[in-house]
Amino acid sequence: MRIIKNCGQALRGLRLNRRNTLLMTIGVMIGIASLTVIVAVGFGVKVKVLNRIANMGFGPESFSVLAGAGRLFFSRAKNTTSMTLQDVEDLLALPTVRLVVPRQRKPMKIINKKEFTSTRVYGVSPDWQIARGWQLIDGVFLSDEDMDRKKKVVVLGSTPARKIFKNEDPIGKMVRLQNSYYKVIGLLQEKGLTESGYDPDDRVLIPLTTSIARLTREKHLHSIKVVTWDVSQVPETMEVVTQILRRNQNLSVFSEDDFRFVTHEGIMEWVTKAAQAMNRMLILISTVSLLVGGIVIMNISLVSVRERVKEIGIRRCFGARKMDITLQFLFESILVSLLGGIMGIGLGFGLSFGLKLFDILPTQITWQPFVFSFIFCTLIGLIFGIHPARKAALMSPEESIRS
Amino acid sequence: MAPVSLIEMNSIYKSYRNIGFETEVLKNITLHIDEGNYISIMGPSGAGKSTLMAIAGCLSQPTSGEYILDGETVGELNDRKLSRIRNEKIGFVFQAFHLLQGVTALDNVILPLVYSRKYPSDIKERAREVLAKVGLEHRLHHTPGQLSGGEQQRVTIARSLINDPPIILADEPTGNLDSKNGIETMKTFDKLVQEGKTIVLITHDLQVAEHADRIIAIRDGEIASDSKSI
Repeated sequence: MRIIKNCGQALRGLRLNRRNTLLMTIGVMIGIASLTVIVAVGFGVKVKVLNRIANMGFGPESFSVLAGAGRLFFSRAKNTTSMTLQDVEDLLALPTVRLVVPRQRKPMKIINKKEFTSTRVYGVSPDWQIARGWQLIDGVFLSDEDMDRKKKVVVLGSTPARKIFKNEDPIGKMVRLQNSYYKVIGLLQEKGLTESGYDPDDRVLIPLTTSIARLTREKHLHSIKVVTWDVSQVPETMEVVTQILRRNQNLSVFSEDDFRFVTHEGIMEWVTKAAQAMNRMLILISTVSLLVGGIVIMNISLVSVRERVKEIGIRRCFGARKMDITLQFLFESILVSLLGGIMGIGLGFGLSFGLKLFDILPTQITWQPFVFSFIFCTLIGLIFGIHPARKAALMSPEESIRS
Repeated sequence: MAPVSLIEMNSIYKSYRNIGFETEVLKNITLHIDEGNYISIMGPSGAGKSTLMAIAGCLSQPTSGEYILDGETVGELNDRKLSRIRNEKIGFVFQAFHLLQGVTALDNVILPLVYSRKYPSDIKERAREVLAKVGLEHRLHHTPGQLSGGEQQRVTIARSLINDPPIILADEPTGNLDSKNGIETMKTFDKLVQEGKTIVLITHDLQVAEHADRIIAIRDGEIASDSKSI
């Protein structure tokens, strides 16, 4: 009974102190919303990065050789020109090597009449399709003849095909890359967006020789993918590949490799490290945002109670026990936290969803930030709302009504 | 055995400690008030009247001395019992009204019932009756800001009566009122005494004090005189 009555007084107290109630609620709301958005964006970026890496089409029995020294995707030297088709031939001669796919890559506009889109153009050998195991839905893939005769033909990924051809059948049509026209001979099967938003279908493929002669006008390769017969052969093959490349590029024993390996294992290791780093960053950001929110709530609570010392005194004069005052303020804090919490969760959810919907930032909505920020904000509200109220209740009623 | 007084103070001292030095506000106050008495406490400001009332109303504790209220030694009571005494035995009327701002007259009057052990089901009905008694039946849903000083004072009187306490403690009840409202307020107190309430009035206005049967003058924290009113 007493609890219900104090709860009623708490409701009344909140109504009477509308301004403070509003500020407190907004404080809690923003604390929770910002935390949830930050964590959602953090998680989203993390998942996106990890997915992109994991989706690069690395089987455990293959590895890539990238031009330029460095680690994984981070080349230290730009424009390393030492890797050539000669290397490819030498690597193919190795007994443990099943396939070698040389590659050039260039981001570029692809144009069909008035429609155009930016995509990634890859110059590859016909073995690319086998190495990736990627099916066509229409037409044919690049052939050895296309390679030998440096033909101006192109295989479209589904994304550029849809963007520049709409509902038309692209096979046999001409598209423009830079100043030359290429005939569309094939259409890659659609893989669809990864859950993080990376689009593997956003690519077009042309013969490597055509790329060298007409598009990049560079002789060197950007990367070579090596597929071995079996996982167990990967380490020894990498060893031999290193020797061959160093010999071909006339590197002295003192100079370091001007190429680097990307292996399935290496990627996984890197992914794990990147995930750990991002987790640490997320924890740090969350802690800071919670602290800021907590301080806001704390200050408003303190001010709010101080303004109400007289009210506490009046209540005490007419029979309120210390316990009644504490209960009333406890309920007020709980109600504000609940209200702000629900609004904060709504706002945070809405913002995260909006960021994702409008493609501003990738977000991943998880339950943990909601729960943690809710508990934290409630606790802060309780501690800093009740403690001063309790102190006011402990004053003699005479002192508090005079304040 | 002498009849037990409703309010019995024996050698009450009260001092406030400020940084460094102590101020003695009440010195050796011994005072007995019987049920149904109508008493005024007079004195210049700073004499200790309000402090005396705070002690009488269990709003603060004396530094030393013994205070027995209706047979209970107040110094030995815990917060629960003190709150119950304030709730059931005493009705306060303050000079500054001390109404909850933004709360309707009706709800202000109900306040003591919120903390009461007995919670009558006809709580609103009772509050209306009490407000009608002080002539405010037409102002039930007005907040203090919408009421005149006299009306606010009548709300505080209604509030002090809602729980039907035997004792009414009034601290300068006419201090913030014009003479017309002051006279009205004093009439209300006179009526309450006839109904059997014990009333302790604190004032520095002799005209107000003379409504009482007994006038106690306080000077520098001590009782200077204790006389029957003429």
